[in-house]
Amino acid sequence: MRMGLGQLERRVMDVLWDAPDRSLSGREIADRLPDRAYTTVLTILERLRRKKLVERSSEGRVHTFRAGASRESYLTSLMLEDLGSAVDRNAVLVRFAQTVSPEEASILRQALDASRRRAQ
Amino acid sequence: MTLTSAAVGLVLVAAVLLGPLSTALAHARWVDASPRAAVALWQALGVSALLSGIGAGLCVAVERYHAGFTGGVAELVESVTSGHPLTGLGLPDALGLTLAADLAVVLCFLLGSVSVRIATTRARHRRLVDLLSLQTHETGAAVLEHDAAVAYCVPGIRPRIVISAGTVELLDEDELAAVVAHERGHAHERHGLVMLPMVCISKIFAFVPYARLAPSSVAGLLEMAADDYAARRQDRGALASALVSMATAGAPPRCSFGLTGGLVSRRVARLLDPPRRSGRVIVGVTGAVAALLVLPVALLLAF
Repeated sequence: MRMGLGQLERRVMDVLWDAPDRSLSGREIADRLPDRAYTTVLTILERLRRKKLVERSSEGRVHTFRAGASRESYLTSLMLEDLGSAVDRNAVLVRFAQTVSPEEASILRQALDASRRRAQ
Repeated sequence: MTLTSAAVGLVLVAAVLLGPLSTALAHARWVDASPRAAVALWQALGVSALLSGIGAGLCVAVERYHAGFTGGVAELVESVTSGHPLTGLGLPDALGLTLAADLAVVLCFLLGSVSVRIATTRARHRRLVDLLSLQTHETGAAVLEHDAAVAYCVPGIRPRIVISAGTVELLDEDELAAVVAHERGHAHERHGLVMLPMVCISKIFAFVPYARLAPSSVAGLLEMAADDYAARRQDRGALASALVSMATAGAPPRCSFGLTGGLVSRRVARLLDPPRRSGRVIVGVTGAVAALLVLPVALLLAF
């Protein structure tokens, strides 16, 4: 069930990200997800709004929804977090390898080659 | 008078633990052979110093009962529960109590607030990874559509292993399996939890050598522990070559920390030529950890 909701959130976000003017009414979003009921889509939108991934605005009596930011900028923020402030970096655990200086890089490559030759 | 000297002794113990001993441990190289033992030693140093600090404060606070440490603490507890905690409190008593309470309160508050902040960041990060990852790699890692070569683990009850499309492009199959196993090691051994208190102290107590040195040292040791986890399951050499490829892929760092760069070399060296794990080191570290935890308590009970 949890997985199902997560996947549905993803599909709703994809619809919003792929919409040309990036702002859709609940009905328009539901129309693009024909296998889901309108009310289900509204519930998912509300969940995403609570998570601050979707913004809602009202035009007259119609609510329209748009993604908080583009797919690309979310992706960039994830990547920046990886290299960001100390607390955030520790939040996602340091990346696999820090980048090294060119001098260190050539020493490392030599060590690797030497070990490969020994193995052969 | 004796309790005051006990307090002075405890403060000295804490100062030695947090100062010279921490500096020595940060520069020790035997730790590369037994990273997990070294992490335990770092933790024991911190806990021991904390116990000493709180103990020293309590010593000063219960001096006025002239009933020794245990008797004094019993009387203090009684006066608190009977509703007159502050009667007959002199300046040194008040200062001692304040020190002990402050240490405990500040640490609890710090741990709490930083934990909440980290948990929030992790939750948001996990959510975005779930929404943005285009596919799940055959190794079970989420793949983010980005050219930079990165691999990391978002800790939590259900951890996420994340690699970028750049990483998939850069590494061969064996290397990729080794990298994902390394990240699984972080998740499996709960390294996120180990780092939590370290992050807290590094924010506030930067003037204490321990708080400056422990976080980066422990972070490095956890990388080695994750390397070991991966090396037990995947090819050692593949992990070493993945490490070199990833470390040399991006642009060189704008600000290079002496230690960080050195860390990659140390990790590659111990992967290519595994240091022999000595039983003596394990016995020594176990003894040291036990001694560190017992020492402050024993010192207090002696009075």
